[in-house]
Amino acid sequence: MTLPVPTEPGRDAAAGRASSTAPPTTDDASSPSPVTPERRRRGRAAAAARWLAGRVVGGVVVLWAVATLVFFAIRLVPGDPAEAILGGPGSQASAEALALVREQYGLGDPLLLQYLAQLGRLVTGDLGTSYSLRTDVGALLLDQLPGTVVLAACALAVAWLIALGTAWWATLGGRVAAAVSSGLEVVAAAVPHFWLGSVLVLVLSTQLGLLPPVSTGTPIGLVLPVVTLAVPVAGFLGQVTRDSLLDAASSPFALSARARGESTSGLFGRHLLRHAALPGLALSGWAFGSLLSGAVVVESVFARPGLGRTLLGAVTLRDIPLVTGVALVSALSYVVVVALGDLAERLVDPRVRAS
Amino acid sequence: MRTRSLPLLALASAGALLLAGCASGGDASDDGTPRAGGTLTYATGDAEPTCLDPHVGGNYPQALVSTQYLESLVSKDSEGEIVPWLADSWEESDDGLSWTFTLRDGVSFTDGTPFDAAAVAANVAHLQDPETLSSTGYLALQKVTGVEAVDARTARFDLSEPDSALLESLTQPWLAMESPEALQRSQEVNCESPVGTGPFVVESWTKQDRVVLSRNDDYSSPPADAGHDGPAHLDEVVWRFIPDSAARYAALQAGQVDVIDNVQPDTLVAAEKDDSLDEIDAPRPGAANRIELNSGKAPFDDERVRQAFITGVDVNDGIDSLFFGTADRSYSALSSVEPLAYSDESLFDVDPDAAGDLLDEAGWTERDSDGYRTKGGERLSLEFPVSTNQSIPAEQSLFEQIQAGAKQLGIEVVLSPLDLSSWYGALAENDYDLVSAPYTKVGPDVLRILYDTAGITPAPSGYFANLAQLSDPALDQLLTDAAQTSDPDERADLYQQAQQIVLESYTVLPLYDQQNHYLVRSSVTGVRALPPVSAVTLHDASRTD
Repeated sequence: MTLPVPTEPGRDAAAGRASSTAPPTTDDASSPSPVTPERRRRGRAAAAARWLAGRVVGGVVVLWAVATLVFFAIRLVPGDPAEAILGGPGSQASAEALALVREQYGLGDPLLLQYLAQLGRLVTGDLGTSYSLRTDVGALLLDQLPGTVVLAACALAVAWLIALGTAWWATLGGRVAAAVSSGLEVVAAAVPHFWLGSVLVLVLSTQLGLLPPVSTGTPIGLVLPVVTLAVPVAGFLGQVTRDSLLDAASSPFALSARARGESTSGLFGRHLLRHAALPGLALSGWAFGSLLSGAVVVESVFARPGLGRTLLGAVTLRDIPLVTGVALVSALSYVVVVALGDLAERLVDPRVRAS
Repeated sequence: MRTRSLPLLALASAGALLLAGCASGGDASDDGTPRAGGTLTYATGDAEPTCLDPHVGGNYPQALVSTQYLESLVSKDSEGEIVPWLADSWEESDDGLSWTFTLRDGVSFTDGTPFDAAAVAANVAHLQDPETLSSTGYLALQKVTGVEAVDARTARFDLSEPDSALLESLTQPWLAMESPEALQRSQEVNCESPVGTGPFVVESWTKQDRVVLSRNDDYSSPPADAGHDGPAHLDEVVWRFIPDSAARYAALQAGQVDVIDNVQPDTLVAAEKDDSLDEIDAPRPGAANRIELNSGKAPFDDERVRQAFITGVDVNDGIDSLFFGTADRSYSALSSVEPLAYSDESLFDVDPDAAGDLLDEAGWTERDSDGYRTKGGERLSLEFPVSTNQSIPAEQSLFEQIQAGAKQLGIEVVLSPLDLSSWYGALAENDYDLVSAPYTKVGPDVLRILYDTAGITPAPSGYFANLAQLSDPALDQLLTDAAQTSDPDERADLYQQAQQIVLESYTVLPLYDQQNHYLVRSSVTGVRALPPVSAVTLHDASRTD
């Protein structure tokens, strides 16, 4: 269930070199330093460039691997895309039509040749034409992307809101609150999307008539899908955040902050949260991946257009160009989000920058 | 206190959103009388078509939506009679080698192109052009060598041999008439916005979401059995794709949509108690849903084993319990909506003891440690690939019950749920002993596709329609003769003989009609299933709220 969060192999080395040229305590201006501010800046810029280059190379390798895996996984399963291209159930394609389709789509060529042809197209940025929807995959994905991005972004925000809310309550609410919130988190993390979605529809739409059961294209129609998608992720984020929050609350710096007269919410917001958010931030890449896979179910249940639903249809019909397109876009967003999470970690935690 | 107020703020704004959602609901003046105008939302559970022009490919999802904007030369009424539509009348030549259609006067496509004999010829040419990639329409026109525009209102179909199924074929939405001007455009464009003569016009298609149709104000060509002449009552139809059946039903109950299709048995039972919903039960034409036994290889190449399977396993209890009484058991190879369907219940009396004797006779006398019968050390095992796209959950459960029933007889049934492509693959590899494959076509000529020896020869893709692999020269002759006979009584007699041979071969276990249930909110009237393929037409529909 948990995806490993890829760590950037070049990062520690680069950061290490950068820090070797920097003084141990950079904000101690009075101590004499052999390193001028310009050299320090240049060192940092070089480190950042190396970090970025590592990210880009790693990202390209990931994309290539995804394209390769998807291609062979689909083609090695028995089945004939030509039948699916010609309409699937209820339409028996003529021999002539099938022959034409196989020729048009190059389905008769040796597998390796088809693979290389596809790689060649991908390198030039051409995602090809969808077998099942007969349109340009790039344009199609651009159409479908916003729906999923809005859904996933809202769900991630709501998930963080729920996770921090329960963690805050668990930390400050005493033993009972800690036990209850921990139980809730386990349940939330274990709930499957399709079940949660169905129950929410049954209760909030069918019984109470409060929310529309399928997407309306308006914000109100977004509520159920976002909550459905957010809850399981919130469970995971809440678990890790709460643990580190409790650790931080019992550490000496919390006590000394208290001694300086920091209020409860000030302690939470300014000190504890910064520590507690770290494992969660590191998990954000994983969370995003989980949201993308959850979107497949949620978009189908709530009849929302988006990448997840496109992927489901494309896999069913062996639509290789479309499956590859969705997989590449997902992989690319995953790489970007992991990089952003890494960056956020550096901003929140000076130790990562300096280590 | 920032941290404390944040969750409260979120709750408050969620509450506000909820209220906003409620406020937009019901302020309807519900006096129960039909009115002109308004929008109807139809939610389909069928797959989203890959192309809105049903000439391309040709499957049921296309038939459903295109019935709203395309029309055919002829239609069928609820009695099964062929009735005029875009053609006023027709006549078969004495030798059966040509059919002359007199076309309706004063009809235009919605792009302004007149509907005339040249348009009919262009449509047939489009269907027969391999580039169109038509499958269903192409097959239906196999005997048509061409269409001659005798004059503007007279179109003559020339045939290579007599075709008693031609009129039935032409009722199908996959052979509907489109504007020849529009067909000149690229296939990509025509797929997005096909142009017909129907009561609605394709306005836009948002992939994965909806097709929006607007009223054709100049509409004048309903089929002879329509409820009214002239344009549709509704201003607009929104055709939504909602794949999840529970979501579809929830949306119907909430009033978000007005009509849903692919209603599942449990939903039908629940909806019966709901006064605000009406049901339309419209089985699809062509073949009944049935399990076919592959007689082309062991163990079903032995008729005794086939007979033992069909008469040894009870399916009635399973159908009753899993479909909650919403599906009637069929004893015919054809759908009950086919006037020439022939049933013989006596062939399917269940007698496990007699079935066991048959298996003993066939040499399956030994038992292995799991209790399955064996012969020469080989277990009596049957491969049953199941298409999860085509078999609804209740049907898949029925197959599991059949599996359990067969085990009582000492027969192992290996069920493999497969996605569509893998399922086609298994059939192409002849890797099946049992299979359930729906086939929709208007008229008994579907028997020729499903049971003629020619259907055993796989196409280059490996696909073939004769999945029972039934090869009987007498049957082939009957089907050929029936397809060439225009005398109705003789034709009926030939098809009855053919169906007797099919049923008595014990290669077919009929289950029930191809289920096709719609639910309609009772605030909408005039929704009906158009008989040829039982797709809904919204021409007569209007809102009463």
